[in-house]
Amino acid sequence: MAEGGENEAHAKWLDAHYDPVANLFTFSSCVALADLQGDGENKLVVGDLGTGLYNMKLKVYKGTSMVSEHTLIDLPTGVLAFLMDTNEPRTPAVAVASGPYIYIYKNLRPYFKFTLPPLEVNSVEQDVWNQVKEDKIDPLTLKEMLESLRDKGDVPLSVRSLRYLMLEPHEMEPFVNLHKLQPIKRQTVIACMATLNKNMVDEDAVSCLVIGTENMEICILDPEAFTIQAKVNLPSVPVFLDVSGQFDVEFRIIVACRNGNIYVIRRDLKRPRHCIELNCQPVGLVRVNKNIVVGCGKETLHSYTQKGKKLWTVYLPAPIMTMGLMDHKSRGLQAVLVALGNSEIHLYRDKNLINVTKTQDVVTSLCFGKYGREDGTLIMTTKGGGLIIKILKRTAIFEGKDTSPGPPLAQSIKLNVPKKTKLYVDQTLRERENAVAMHRTFQTDLCRLRLSAARAYAKALETSLAPVSADLAQPLKLNATVQGIGPSFKLTLNVQNMSATRPVIDLLISFLYDESLYSIKRSFFKVPMLVPGLIYPIETFVQCLSDRGISDTIKVFVLRVGTCSPLLTAHVNMPVSEGLAVG
Amino acid sequence: MGLFDKLAGWLGLKKKEVHVLCLGLDNSGKTTIINYLKPSNAQVQDIVPTIGFSIENFKTSGLSFTVFDMSGQGRYRNLWEHYYKEGQAIIFVIDSSDKLRMVVAKEELDTLLNHPDIKHRRIPILFFANKMDLRDALSSVKVSQMLRLENIKDKAWHICASDAIKGEGLQEGVDWLQDQIKAMKT
Repeated sequence: MAEGGENEAHAKWLDAHYDPVANLFTFSSCVALADLQGDGENKLVVGDLGTGLYNMKLKVYKGTSMVSEHTLIDLPTGVLAFLMDTNEPRTPAVAVASGPYIYIYKNLRPYFKFTLPPLEVNSVEQDVWNQVKEDKIDPLTLKEMLESLRDKGDVPLSVRSLRYLMLEPHEMEPFVNLHKLQPIKRQTVIACMATLNKNMVDEDAVSCLVIGTENMEICILDPEAFTIQAKVNLPSVPVFLDVSGQFDVEFRIIVACRNGNIYVIRRDLKRPRHCIELNCQPVGLVRVNKNIVVGCGKETLHSYTQKGKKLWTVYLPAPIMTMGLMDHKSRGLQAVLVALGNSEIHLYRDKNLINVTKTQDVVTSLCFGKYGREDGTLIMTTKGGGLIIKILKRTAIFEGKDTSPGPPLAQSIKLNVPKKTKLYVDQTLRERENAVAMHRTFQTDLCRLRLSAARAYAKALETSLAPVSADLAQPLKLNATVQGIGPSFKLTLNVQNMSATRPVIDLLISFLYDESLYSIKRSFFKVPMLVPGLIYPIETFVQCLSDRGISDTIKVFVLRVGTCSPLLTAHVNMPVSEGLAVG
Repeated sequence: MGLFDKLAGWLGLKKKEVHVLCLGLDNSGKTTIINYLKPSNAQVQDIVPTIGFSIENFKTSGLSFTVFDMSGQGRYRNLWEHYYKEGQAIIFVIDSSDKLRMVVAKEELDTLLNHPDIKHRRIPILFFANKMDLRDALSSVKVSQMLRLENIKDKAWHICASDAIKGEGLQEGVDWLQDQIKAMKT
């Protein structure tokens, strides 16, 4: 990163590594740091989304290079490292959530696959499919029955039925034959995942997995048996989780949901206790001590207490890409990292912006923690798939005060007030001496001007010369454009009905021109019915007959059938023909 | 200094004592290097991360070294500067297989060189590009490039590739250090 000498002295971060072609496409929820081999060096585990369709990989980095890579079957939605037992050495397991499954890796080997329990199936739907199996009803009746179920049933349909309702009639028969023998089931998908310590506060305590599902539920899993220990229903689909406390003692889960609300769940409650309504979609959720910091889609950062009291709002210069917590325990520093769309990382402690770091590309995932042997490491992946690793300097001190610039720069720019010369001063002197005469002369001239303007206007009205109709009953607008360099020109008339609701019918267009100079194919024709608001382009072709470079005016009249005075008129000054005249 | 000591000094029986600071990041191999240089009966088998610092002694053909083996862990690094005044030479150890923290090593080296107790003294610095046996280790040339050693103009410095477990490269470095110190004294 190119920084000036002055800047480098004050920079808080050391650029440890930058690989623009690391090919890591991921989000903050799929990045984890853990000591996987128990050798005191933290590794980086990344759930790479690949292209979103294929090439999903679980990648493990050590230092600046990748040490292993595992193919994932489906798109990962969350990657976590957690301790599932008290065995020595304390090597954490990696949990990868994708679809309805959680894949557990131990020592970087597949170890266990947890499947979410299937959901209850609509009994009527089950009966309908049973009848299909016995060939009692045909595909069309099946479709009708499923549709009525979908509209009034309180239990949603299974994926198979929904898929069936989308099919074209000719695809139904094969689909039914293919699927009718399999039992019907309904499954949900994991939306987000977090860990919760089981009964100890320590870093290396055994922890439970907390899962948020598309079925609007939060489940807490037992770390060893992988059974669901607790379940809480939510009013919407959870997208961001923050967990604190211990499962056996007291815990608190802060959930940001897709409906733009934040809910707080406590141990003894079956329903969320507090609800914070945001004014737009949350894009990131971080808890600092006891306060919630949430990033919103409208380039704002809000802070709330856990009871839902709003503390502050910060307006950001660009949209938020992702957010993360910077928790440097040995220095007691807790701050919020916000990656912005203008490739900057902002660091907020409370509402104060304490550091701004420029990155080479827009950052899509952030992770701060111990990597390798270094405590304060910030790992970022970029939109283009790059990997950036920065290390916090040992000597870096973040000042408490806001480093955001004070008054805007524009304040110091001088106003552009024009200067006055001697000419202006002389003029004011003359005005002071002859004020009365000046006023009188001007008033006389103004009267004359009004008179001549009124005369000209009356004349134009009489002959309907104006291109905008003055008649309130028939508000029309006409303008003409000429295209081409000659001898043939294209003359386009744009006619528009200006009334609110009333269409105009029975209009004619006629051209008046010097027949020795120009020829127009159709010099008199009918206008189609004019619907209010639309512009009708009417084209004609004009041929210039003269070869001596003479131009003239063509007059266009819009007439009403049965009256002889035109409604409106346009004068088109034809350009000089630049081509050879057609003899 | 007693009369006997002076006498021993003149006769060359008692070696001159030199204080050396051994610095570097944690896990770079400082204690292992010092351990290897000690006489074989004083060497320890198990090397654990140093807490704070420890004082070790070893002798070469012409000099007796007292080494302050400092802990390189982040929280102990601010101890280093308290011993800068005593140091007559510096051994700076770098883990050449740890590419990620090369910038941290460079940062610590820069802070060391700009410290008022070090800046204006012409003390020799010996760099060990340690852990040369590891597969992904950088060469000593590459390490000196990454640390920008060519910018050190006012001090004598030397970089050695070393493997502190087998002891490769250590003797070369210590010989250089001894020559430098002798040249300074005279």
